[in-house]
Amino acid sequence: MIPGSRSARIQALVAEQAALRGARVGVLDVCTAAVAALPVVGAGMSAMSRGRASHPLCSTDSVSQQLEELQLTLGEGPCVDAYVLGSTVLCPDLSAGELQRHWTVFADAALEAGARAVFAFPLQIGAISPGVLDLYSSSSVELDADEVADAMAFADTATLLLLDARISETGVPFDTSASGTDAGAPSTSATDLPGATPFDDLGGYRTEIDQATGILMVQLGVGFEEAFIRLRAHAYAHGTRISVVAADVVAHRLRLPPDTTPSDTQPPDARPPEDEP
Amino acid sequence: MKEQLMARTFVELTDSLVADFDLMDFLHLLTARCVDLLDANAAGVLLADRDGVLHVMAASDERLRLLELFRLQNHEGPCLDCFHSGIAVSAHDLRDEVVGALNLFHTAPAPISPTAAPFAQALADVATISLLPQRTTKRSTLLNEQLQTALNSRVLIEQAKGKLAERHHTDMERAFTTLRAYARSHNRRLPDVARAFIDETERLPGLSSGNS
Repeated sequence: MIPGSRSARIQALVAEQAALRGARVGVLDVCTAAVAALPVVGAGMSAMSRGRASHPLCSTDSVSQQLEELQLTLGEGPCVDAYVLGSTVLCPDLSAGELQRHWTVFADAALEAGARAVFAFPLQIGAISPGVLDLYSSSSVELDADEVADAMAFADTATLLLLDARISETGVPFDTSASGTDAGAPSTSATDLPGATPFDDLGGYRTEIDQATGILMVQLGVGFEEAFIRLRAHAYAHGTRISVVAADVVAHRLRLPPDTTPSDTQPPDARPPEDEP
Repeated sequence: MKEQLMARTFVELTDSLVADFDLMDFLHLLTARCVDLLDANAAGVLLADRDGVLHVMAASDERLRLLELFRLQNHEGPCLDCFHSGIAVSAHDLRDEVVGALNLFHTAPAPISPTAAPFAQALADVATISLLPQRTTKRSTLLNEQLQTALNSRVLIEQAKGKLAERHHTDMERAFTTLRAYARSHNRRLPDVARAFIDETERLPGLSSGNS
């Protein structure tokens, strides 16, 4: 992360919201910070998956909540398109005939719920795409290039928060003094670790991180999302930068131990003791 | 003669810029032609993300060391190690914003010749044109989103390279060549093949059947 960069500024805005709430940084803070920073009325986020059922994660108001539920129920809407296409979907005016034909049911239902403009931003790191961030406005509005870039930075922040929230659930040996992790809530335990930066340096050193993710899929026999989470968990647990761990994995200087309790099969009551409040 | 090769190259490149073309494969082709035409030892196309950090989108050589070299320019400029001279040709979009750079590396300390310089800039311009938003019917597409998609495509390719190299006990360069050959021979986009290989949504004969 570069000091003074857009990412740094957005992450500071998100952290500010968490501080106001008096809680650890979570995806709800991304939504409230986005609403405060952009010309939109509300924001919501849904966890999306090709394999498992998608579900709403959080929303800043009842209209946002309805938008999330509508799209997941109907299986259509900007958020569904953003997820499937892996790119931003901007709809400045849902009453435009073109969009009504595209989303025959959703467009009218969203207008009725009180949303006129809807913008959807995929949360993604290559094949890893845990969900979508939706912004809405009650009146027709366009986001300029700068605002779109900000929204993308909010989405990237949310991606890392969602993935980090799973670190404490993976059963990975986690040398941490952190206590009171509310299991299941989308919050990051990484921020509690001394010296660990929650967003780390995903910017300029991507190549090895992405290659290491692919390598770990084979070495650990896990999916891409799990592989990425294990990489970050290892970096946090050892107080190392993720780029350093990734470079070691790519150079075959480091092999991560196989995980015996993959999170997907782990029942909720089998979480590590430190997850209990 | 170089001019003929140059002309052929521009025909080849512009022919590739058809509707729905594969940007990643196109940029790779462009870097390969830069090496042929400009007597460079290596070439790479880098794009800036919204923080101004340059990322390698395509390189004539996918070996990690070379990618590191391109990456290092974020910090130290083009003059490095065994590569004595590097030429960075900047790519501007129509609004004259710098969106990235075309970089050429030479092992010998030779400045780019006055005749080659306009060719290099022309190739950089072709790279820029390939990045300009293609208006789709249902969504207005901004350069922002086009760059986002390009950057994410590259992440997909790197993830797939890592998985393929580990599974086939091979290096990153060969893993890339294998992925690209598969995409070309099956008439598919490189990022689509990379995604299918990573999430195992379909069998890709020759790629999926590893000895892991």
